[in-house]
Amino acid sequence: MTKNNNDYVTHDCDHYDSHRLNHLNKRKYGDEADVCIVGAGAAGGVLAYELSKAGFKVVVIEAGPFWNPQTDFASDELAMESLAWNDTRLVAGSDPLSMGHNNSGRGVGGGTVHFTGVFYRFHESDFKVKTQDGVADDWPISYQDLEPYYEKIEKDIAVSGPKHFPWGPFQGPYPYPEREPISANSQIFRMGCEKLGLRSVVAPLAILSAPFDGRPPCINRGFCNQGCKPNAKFSTLIHHIPKAIKHGAEVLSDCMVTQVNVDKSGKVTGVTFVHDKKEYFQKAKVVILSNFCIETPRLLLHSACPQFPDGLANSSGMVGKELMTHVGHDVYCKFHDEVRIYKGTPVLAATQEFYETDQSRGFVRGYTLNAHGSRPLGLSQNLVSKADIWGQKLYDIMRDFNFFAQITLVGEVLPNINNLVTLSDEKDEYGMPRPIVKFSYGENDNKLIAHGIKSSQEILGAMGGEPAFVIPDTGHLMGTCRMGNDPSTSVVDGFCRSHDIPNLYICSASVFVTGGGCNPTETVMAIAARTADHIIEEAHKGESN
Amino acid sequence: MQEIRTRYPKYDVLKEQEHWDEHTREIVKKRLGPFPKNNFLSDHEADMILSIAMHIVYDNRKDILDYVVHHMDTTISSPIGEDQRKVGTPEQKTLIRQGLKAIDKLAQQQYNASFLEIDPNQQLSLLEDLQKGKAQQLKDWQQIPQKELFKKLATNIVSAYYSHPIVWSEIGYGGPAYPRGYVRVEKGLTDPWEAKRDDKE
Ligand SMILES: Cc1cc2nc3c(=O)[nH]c(=O)nc-3n(C[C@H](O)[C@H](O)[C@H](O)COP(=O)(O)OP(=O)(O)OC[C@H]3O[C@@H](n4cnc5c(N)ncnc54)[C@H](O)[C@@H]3O)c2cc1C
Ligand code: SF4
Repeated sequence: MTKNNNDYVTHDCDHYDSHRLNHLNKRKYGDEADVCIVGAGAAGGVLAYELSKAGFKVVVIEAGPFWNPQTDFASDELAMESLAWNDTRLVAGSDPLSMGHNNSGRGVGGGTVHFTGVFYRFHESDFKVKTQDGVADDWPISYQDLEPYYEKIEKDIAVSGPKHFPWGPFQGPYPYPEREPISANSQIFRMGCEKLGLRSVVAPLAILSAPFDGRPPCINRGFCNQGCKPNAKFSTLIHHIPKAIKHGAEVLSDCMVTQVNVDKSGKVTGVTFVHDKKEYFQKAKVVILSNFCIETPRLLLHSACPQFPDGLANSSGMVGKELMTHVGHDVYCKFHDEVRIYKGTPVLAATQEFYETDQSRGFVRGYTLNAHGSRPLGLSQNLVSKADIWGQKLYDIMRDFNFFAQITLVGEVLPNINNLVTLSDEKDEYGMPRPIVKFSYGENDNKLIAHGIKSSQEILGAMGGEPAFVIPDTGHLMGTCRMGNDPSTSVVDGFCRSHDIPNLYICSASVFVTGGGCNPTETVMAIAARTADHIIEEAHKGESN
Repeated sequence: MQEIRTRYPKYDVLKEQEHWDEHTREIVKKRLGPFPKNNFLSDHEADMILSIAMHIVYDNRKDILDYVVHHMDTTISSPIGEDQRKVGTPEQKTLIRQGLKAIDKLAQQQYNASFLEIDPNQQLSLLEDLQKGKAQQLKDWQQIPQKELFKKLATNIVSAYYSHPIVWSEIGYGGPAYPRGYVRVEKGLTDPWEAKRDDKE
């Protein structure tokens, strides 16, 4: 594909001023859009770019602001909590999830604005867990279906990573060289792995190791979870969305979609959204919901109407079900010398030696270990709220802040029908019912956690680290609108088209069937690129008929 | 309370502020005060937050804790959501206001004095009970889940405390690092402006 000039844009996001009309009654595609995408996150950004480039009239509606990294972002943890979806969600279950900054973004770029940028492909086994391990379900698509899209995404955003990646079907090299130097915390991790005979790598990252597309390489300031000010870290805010706008897409930010509208024939006509307390309607031929794992089921359930009394796309009853997260336990060990985990890109080293099922461990599936940095607010908040450590004990730990090394697990959690999103009686500012997010770990998950903690302590222990404390954390959300071939047990097909409504797609981390044992966003984006291709093909078919 | 223990007595992160971007500098400097009058918290409530904070962060320096109280007041006054709330727990405004009242009642019931009047050891033991959900029976606990109350207060308090630049200096945290970033990130290396230990054995 030759690159259109529209692919080259400035990155200060000020293009927003010239394209976003203040007057929502004078919208670019106010009459009708070809495609309306709800949510400008990882998936929404990729879809907007690919579809606008293919000539579709695209409108993206995003609940949060259109950030300008230069003026909106700060090198400060507390101030940057505002990048998260702060709206209250009710939580339940025996392991209630912490939401907000922990797993949900809000604003153009979605979760990619404050994500850590660790960028993995899933392995072949991740798509056929039932066949391999007799648990959960297989995906309707395989690794091979996504392979060309993984490759495309990695090239599009110049992922940096090792020449050789020893696990899974993709063995490297990555488009951009691996990051160098790596932080002390990551060095300790790699040296510990080596002592134990475990292979480790410099983590593949959606963070630049050299200039690309007008953006500079990383300066190791370590605030990836606060939004990258220099634009060294990829986000759809600075990459896909500006390009999509150049290709003609319109982005309506600060606009909360409150309903998906359907006509008598049961087809979607568009969406209703609220801006500044006023309600508007966006008509569209096709609607794609890319608004992530909690808001998508909430919107579908809330959009119930006489034809679809149980909510849209929900004939299977699976909307909202099988919510997954990753085990995200943080394992800390204390060292005699300073480590200074605040420095550098948070994750610069990893191992997937524990990724695949090993029956001898007594549980199925596995996990990735990421050497992980931390800053004072994140650590102290987690100690108090997740590990019940406060008072003198907290003080003592924090005074020794510079002497800890940290490893974070990213472990697969098996889907469970009782982990789900439902609607409560309590209303939010838009009059929409607040979601109830229920989550509990299962037996397999708990065994995996124990194993992961032990492996992490062994790695740091090999370097002389003393086990200090473990924070029971989680990371990422997946599922609630799973894909599948059988309309009675799944919400969308392998191309993310809803089984029940032909012009309604759901495309985000919510379509995951299982969670894999690594960070999920490359897979989210590969799925989105594949869905875009499918929509383009379908439109061509329609034309030639 | 305790002596301030730091391995970096000579380090002052604020001396680096001219190297920070303006937006960040503005945000951080506001934490040094002075602070406007509280919006939501009454004087009594503010005093209680301050005393509770002393125990949570194990520090009694008023200049820092004033910011902690101010942050609590800003959070509760704000229309922004609270990320998550356990089913059955009231909104944070109610949780904190009713919760503080319940803490006073508890102190009355156990020690015949208000929370601010009992001695620090009694205050601490009361907070320990709350955190474990094992405080003495009160009918208020039906509306105010003890553990959730403790967690809400404690999380908000540490968020502000560990965002204070004086505390950053004491723990040897380099703080904001844009536009200059970190150059020497590997084991044993520090940039010239970072905190250096004075206690090396
Ligand atoms: C702190 C943190 C660190 C992470 N680190 C990594 C990592 O290192 N590697 C990795 O692979 N993944 C990481 N992730 C996960 C990653 O952010 C998500 O997997 C990814 O963003 C999911 O993409 P998505 O398109 O499904 O949804 P999102 O990116 O969340 O986008 C959804 C968008 O929809 C908008 N929206 C929701 N409801 C509505 C509505 N009703 N109307 C309009 N708009 C709406 C939201 O505001 C949001 O912008 C991290 C996440 C967090 C929070
Ligand atoms: S560490 Fe690098 S990628 Fe992360 S925020 Fe800083 S400059 Fe950006």
